[in-house]
Amino acid sequence: MARAVAVVGVGQTRYGNRSEMTYPDLVREGVQAAFADAGLGPEDVDGVVFGTMPSMMEGVAMTHFYFADALRAVGKPLMKTETCGTTGMSLAITGYYWVASGMADVVLVVGSEKMHEGDSQATMSTVAEPFFFRPFTSGAPGIFSMLAQMWMDRHGIPEDKARDAAARVSVDHHRDALDNPYAHIKKAVTMEEVKGAPVIVYPSRLWDICPNSDGACAVIFACEEKVKKMSGKPAWVKGIGFCGDEYWFGDSDKVSWDGARETARQAYEMAGIRDPLKELDVAEIYNPFTYVELQHYECFGFCEAGTAPDRVLDGTFSRGGELPCDPSGGVLCSNPIGATALVRVAEAALQVTGRAGERQVEGARLALSHGLGGVAQFNGIMILGAEQ
Amino acid sequence: MMRRVAIVEVALSPAGESADNYLDQVYRVCREVLDKAGITREDVGTVVSASSDVFHGGVSCANAYYWDSGAAFLKNGTRQDGESLLAFSYAVMRILTGHYDTALVLGLCKGSENPDNDMITHFFTDPFYQRPLGLNETVAAGLQMRAYLEHSGTTEEQCARVVVKNLGNALRNPNAHRKGRLDVDTVLRSPKVMDPLKELECAPKSEGFVALLLASEDKAKKLTKRPVWFRGFGSSMDFFYLGDRDMGSGVLAQAAKRAYDMAGIRDPVKEIHVAEVTEPYAFQELLWYEGLGFCGPGEGGKFLDTGATAPEGSLPVNPSGGVLAANPYVSRGLCRLAEVTLQIRGQAGERQVDREVETGLAHGTHGFAGQFHAVAVVGA
Repeated sequence: MARAVAVVGVGQTRYGNRSEMTYPDLVREGVQAAFADAGLGPEDVDGVVFGTMPSMMEGVAMTHFYFADALRAVGKPLMKTETCGTTGMSLAITGYYWVASGMADVVLVVGSEKMHEGDSQATMSTVAEPFFFRPFTSGAPGIFSMLAQMWMDRHGIPEDKARDAAARVSVDHHRDALDNPYAHIKKAVTMEEVKGAPVIVYPSRLWDICPNSDGACAVIFACEEKVKKMSGKPAWVKGIGFCGDEYWFGDSDKVSWDGARETARQAYEMAGIRDPLKELDVAEIYNPFTYVELQHYECFGFCEAGTAPDRVLDGTFSRGGELPCDPSGGVLCSNPIGATALVRVAEAALQVTGRAGERQVEGARLALSHGLGGVAQFNGIMILGAEQ
Repeated sequence: MMRRVAIVEVALSPAGESADNYLDQVYRVCREVLDKAGITREDVGTVVSASSDVFHGGVSCANAYYWDSGAAFLKNGTRQDGESLLAFSYAVMRILTGHYDTALVLGLCKGSENPDNDMITHFFTDPFYQRPLGLNETVAAGLQMRAYLEHSGTTEEQCARVVVKNLGNALRNPNAHRKGRLDVDTVLRSPKVMDPLKELECAPKSEGFVALLLASEDKAKKLTKRPVWFRGFGSSMDFFYLGDRDMGSGVLAQAAKRAYDMAGIRDPVKEIHVAEVTEPYAFQELLWYEGLGFCGPGEGGKFLDTGATAPEGSLPVNPSGGVLAANPYVSRGLCRLAEVTLQIRGQAGERQVDREVETGLAHGTHGFAGQFHAVAVVGA
């Protein structure tokens, strides 16, 4: 049966344009940071889990070979988990299962991306199959703009109100990122700047959209017995969820979004959470676009369907609000895709262990981390807590 | 106390080029394995697939593409990229935790729709030092074979005999992509591909869609009279740069030891009754005998010569014809496991080995000269 598992160390690189170093060196930076944080060395690790976005992203296929040395994986068992944008969350879940099953005691989990060496939107266009889908699918902004429009239309949300709420999300996160030493985009923006920025794909404007970042993140998972022998504060895995819905975009309803709701249901059930808004102290939502963050508040039961704009505008999800979301600045300010969802896990671990520095949410004990991927097809959640 | 996990049913596609599209092929093996077990998609707890992207599949995030056809719609699932045996071990983990009672494991590769493996594996290289050299898996295998022959005294004839055995075995495997009644001279006279490798010693590029249904002990006993139990798993990763490695031994012995320790196997040559190994280049089967502990270092050729690994031998290896007969790059490890499962259940048809089979071993490798190895041990 499942053993108790905790995060015992996290490592992040600075996100941004890291053209000053090669890709393996970037991976090594994240891995060494996690070892330093956990007070462990490669000899303490039973196995390594690694993943990125597909090979087109950086021009090297099956990068676990290339990075074997940087991952400190030589002579060790390895798993290579990849599920598109959810990769980071699927990596964390793999690490969890490896330890929870008893097949390993300590597992190093690493995600990375070096997006300045490839063309992310061209890569994402190839997620669409070549015959029907690819000719009209061009990267992520178009997909997420369709989601936003469906969502506003279904709930009869006035465009101005949704616009204001999305702008508020952008303003909050860009301010939050100033407190995050790893963040890529560090620029405070005003409501007026967000709303007046150039349209990328309507209704998303420049400051509604994440950057392309280089970066790596590493998280170390350990079983209870090992945790008890370590001095640091553990972040216990309380709940996990993952779900995929229809591949064909036209077949799926991304407003009711059964996949996102089912993901949260799984994670809440395992964690014993009934009222997420009250019980969670902080959430790291995978928010490459401001509007989709609003949708996830609803799908994850933080508020009723169609009410996210009201709750955003009354400050519920801001720092100091009832459930602060993405105090790290989120994906909106740093997006090394293969690492991005794992960064959410790392940030959640820092929050519940009180180690999040300037971006710490006071007294956080229970945190939700989220990953999103595919053509908005996959959702994954890991809930971490200060108590076992 | 660990739960026990069993393979309940398997389904394997033919390895030759198919006119069916990828999604139909995925659906077909899923359907077959569920029908055999007498359950529906709703009864499946979780789905763990193995596939690869762009170069091996033509789409990025291939798991997105086949998610619904692969029975995973609105389910908790995940994907392993590269070595499909990892999908098996991951599904076992998921059942061991008690979160799921059943897991569907898929290995998917439509070889006929993508470029040559040499082109694809060329992109495993780093862009700075190796790629300008034109390194790919076959070049690396040529270097490894030369080193192996020189260090071990193994002969080219012994390597060629692996082809004679495996393609001969494939005559009895209706799913095989390549088969034939060959002699050693024919193999040795086939064109040199990457000296000393000859054309017939290199695997083809094939299709391979494979599904395995796994279940916890209680569930397995309800679903089948012939469960094949998970006993052990191990894997290991080697250095990236060939110059940093000992290509004559490598990390297979580490992977095997981990699997044997978990399975409680002390004398593999006696305790393993059939093995399916991944030998994209003929000499590698001999080298893998050594890594798996079937014989001593440098004795792979002699072990083959004893006849032990023939279908009528004491430890038949690749009675299906192995990867030389069918090489779906990403799913080939799981195909090995499916074959071993059929052997243990006595369902391997004409390729059923002569001896009684209680315990079997499946091996997978990918990367240059065996950079990564995975070993699974299963038993009746």
